[in-house]
Amino acid sequence: MASVEIEGLTKWYGKRRGVENISFNLADKEFLTVFGPAGAGKTTTLNLIAGIVTPNQGSVKIAGRNIDGLEPAERNIAMVFESYALYPQLTVFENMAFPLRSPKYKQPEKKVKERVVHYAKVMKIDHLLDRQIQALSNGQRQRTALGRALVRQPDVFLFDEPLSHLDAKLRHSMRAELKEMRSQLGTTTIYVTHDYLEAMSLGDRVAVINEGRIHHIGTPKEVYFRPTTMEVARLFGDPEINLVMGQLKAKGLQLVVQILGENVGIEVPPDAAEPLRTANKVYVGFRPANVNVIEGNSKTAFHGVVYSFEPLGTKSVLTVDAADGTRIRALIDGRRTIQIDRRIQFTITPHSLMFFDADTHRFLFRSKVPIEEVANG
Amino acid sequence: MDRKVTSLFGYVSKSVLLAFYALFALFPLIWMLILSFKPDSQMFTTTFFFDPTLDNFRAVFSQSDFLRNLLNNLIISSLAVVVSLAVGVPAAYALARFQFKGREDIAFTFLSFRFAPEILVIIPLYLIYQRLGLIDNYFGLIWVYQLISLPLLIWILRGFFEDISPDIESAAQLDGYSWWQVFFKVLLPLVRPGLVAAALLCFIFCWNAFTFTLQLGGNSTQTSTVSMTRFLASDTVHYGWVAAAALVSALPEVILALLIQKHLVRGLSFGAVKG
Repeated sequence: MASVEIEGLTKWYGKRRGVENISFNLADKEFLTVFGPAGAGKTTTLNLIAGIVTPNQGSVKIAGRNIDGLEPAERNIAMVFESYALYPQLTVFENMAFPLRSPKYKQPEKKVKERVVHYAKVMKIDHLLDRQIQALSNGQRQRTALGRALVRQPDVFLFDEPLSHLDAKLRHSMRAELKEMRSQLGTTTIYVTHDYLEAMSLGDRVAVINEGRIHHIGTPKEVYFRPTTMEVARLFGDPEINLVMGQLKAKGLQLVVQILGENVGIEVPPDAAEPLRTANKVYVGFRPANVNVIEGNSKTAFHGVVYSFEPLGTKSVLTVDAADGTRIRALIDGRRTIQIDRRIQFTITPHSLMFFDADTHRFLFRSKVPIEEVANG
Repeated sequence: MDRKVTSLFGYVSKSVLLAFYALFALFPLIWMLILSFKPDSQMFTTTFFFDPTLDNFRAVFSQSDFLRNLLNNLIISSLAVVVSLAVGVPAAYALARFQFKGREDIAFTFLSFRFAPEILVIIPLYLIYQRLGLIDNYFGLIWVYQLISLPLLIWILRGFFEDISPDIESAAQLDGYSWWQVFFKVLLPLVRPGLVAAALLCFIFCWNAFTFTLQLGGNSTQTSTVSMTRFLASDTVHYGWVAAAALVSALPEVILALLIQKHLVRGLSFGAVKG
């Protein structure tokens, strides 16, 4: 149990950038998820913290102790690998006991047994302890790998996409289980994932990393509702957020934003008017769930032609070609069926709009109206 | 019923074919076995009927240094394999794991030692050895045997090391083991099938080596492969003795191969052969 301070970690693989200037702090017992697309530098970050890879620059402190240059064994860190990295020649029990039998973390054999059995029960693999690794399913291997990390009670846990090789259903149930477990464990954890659902559901905070740099660190709600850049906004949510060019115009006292090549303007929420006053062109972001397909005619609605319709159960994904040809994604009630090529009208919830700078793609503003209201509206 | 007949037919025909192949493959050995028990007078008959005798074996062991040559071969071959293991295991690991300049070139250079026939390099080697005083010397032979065993060992083991995920090493290091402990506790057990198979192959190649010992060996280091040829002198030709000696020489290899058969099959089919 310990705090983690990471300062300016940089790693170049020859001329290729691994990560650059990664800095963040974790409080004791905090759970940070590191989220980003493939090749963003997530695993490199973990390997740098674990001491598997040596950084070109930067430092790592655990519980105030500088651990730069220490061997992995000296860092008291436990890591779960994407490939599980189990020892194939050993049984489940021997795998889990391996750290406790090491010269560094040696425990008396009685205690080893006690701890392994205890954590095997936590991971629900106590009936498999005598099995060889080859005889396990992927899910069971995953549990063994988690168990091996747990038995040691390290200062920090590192998880490298532990769920990515499980099938979808198992992944969801393991996610829930991990969330349940983390409240019991109370150890500082850094969890790497490329699944935004995992990142948001597990983390106290989420660090969004892309192309070797951290783009945003914040609570799950912050990164989802108030992302620092358009790239971050794109990474969260499925279907992806709609980002379109918009023109801000004063209309009396009101500020309106015109998008999708139509004259109907969306009234900018009153609290957003002031910060946006100086801007002219902006990018407007809105989640597919905030696009409302309406029946009948409305003067304030946008027009479009249905390009595709994917029913997904409770929700359906609708892709619409708007008046200026932009493709808009909408999430609609699963009970509705909309024919392809049909002309439809839709509105966009004004409070849900995110505004980004047209040049820098940085976040400008989003209405502070409570999030719950937007979700329901 | 129909299916039963076809499967029985398949079984029988497969067995017959395999038996035929086994006979074909083993016939030289069987002939050698027969020769070794034949008296000189019946050596050139081609029937399978003869008066079995142990004279050949008796002669080989009592009238020559064959036992000592056998021992020489054992010493030189085993030590050559031990040296190859000590050098080859770290080399194979480095070639599999580390990215460094000229990695493929070095690996290829090792392999290229096996390209040229031994007879091609034996003259220069002889001159060098003569100057170094290594002719008829155990150390000299063990050294030159590295040309035979080292490339083989490195190339088989390299494949095995490449098959082990680097994550496993990292995991063991994080679990509290130093690099050396990881190597001996995690990596070596994982490559053991390959290690056993490669070591055995190396031993067989060394054991059967002929050219190097013929030229670089001498009276005190003569190995069994070379000493056998002495039974074929210009005046007397003892085919029976040669057969008996060859039979005895082949025994250690056969016994070793049987002992580690399990590892051998796994070792040769894993790692080394991959797409």
